[in-house]
Amino acid sequence: MAQAHPDISALEAQAGRLPDQMPHPDGGSGGIVFTDLSTCGKLNLRCASDVSSQIIRFLGASLPDKANSVTTSGERRIIWLGPDEYLVLVKTGEEDSLSSIISSALSSQHHAATIVTDALACLQLDGPAVRDVLAKGCALDLHDTKFTAGMCAQTLLASASITLLCEGDSSFRIICRTSFLDYVMAWLKDAACEYGYYVTPQSNI
Amino acid sequence: MLQLPCPYCGPRDELEFSCGGEAHISRPLAHNKISDADFGEYLFLRDNPKGVFLERWRHASGCRRWFNVVRDTVSHDILEVYAMGRKPRSSAGKNAYNNSWRRTSAAEAAAVNK
Ligand SMILES: [Zn+2]
Repeated sequence: MAQAHPDISALEAQAGRLPDQMPHPDGGSGGIVFTDLSTCGKLNLRCASDVSSQIIRFLGASLPDKANSVTTSGERRIIWLGPDEYLVLVKTGEEDSLSSIISSALSSQHHAATIVTDALACLQLDGPAVRDVLAKGCALDLHDTKFTAGMCAQTLLASASITLLCEGDSSFRIICRTSFLDYVMAWLKDAACEYGYYVTPQSNI
Repeated sequence: MLQLPCPYCGPRDELEFSCGGEAHISRPLAHNKISDADFGEYLFLRDNPKGVFLERWRHASGCRRWFNVVRDTVSHDILEVYAMGRKPRSSAGKNAYNNSWRRTSAAEAAAVNK
């Protein structure tokens, strides 16, 4: 029988063995809490930025007009992905109706509203260690005066393509391909060991 | 490692980009009268200068947009970044553009309706 490469099987075993809860080595509360929000609705929107006024009443917030920024309305997030591309996060199940509403509102315009709920995973990260953990695998300047709430970036985390959202001083979201979630989660757990972490059971936003 | 200034996202590591090679290569129109040798030059011949080079780059792991870069292949200095479809404005970039053999190539002449 073919044997897995010893290094790979060791890595897999190590990642698989990391529990969902790791206390801080010195005791006390954990440095970071991971919450899987992957079931939230996700909509990829391609359209000219100047249609913002036409769809703001459906989205609840305007399209972000600055590169790498996010607009927020309650639980909704509208994330800048490019000069004519946005990712909209909505409550679980809202994406179907929103996509048809936007499509009919923009029917006379060149646009595309594509549901990408199952293609992308979404992870919430909270806690005092969140910036230190992310900085281990991300080349962005994550200092709390440089990467602030309302900013986002598409970048690499430990070689995986991610979209990073800053939600507050110690609160972030990571959006990555669903197929990368296991890897990203295993990497994050490993990086967070020295601070202590907790993985909350899957929930809906 | 290089650090490239994406026109949308600002400075990012080279790891986030993919290089698309030489910029400003015009494709001859479908109906053209250029020779096979001239078409071969358009299709296969790429410059590899020691010095200022005009390149296309894509922010592959970021905003996924293409842009042009004027780069010195000796010092690795990024001299200018400009949008697709535009021409360089820096003097080094202008010189590299104007002095390229492609400006007088049969393929480039056959790339526009006359
Ligand atoms: Zn970019």
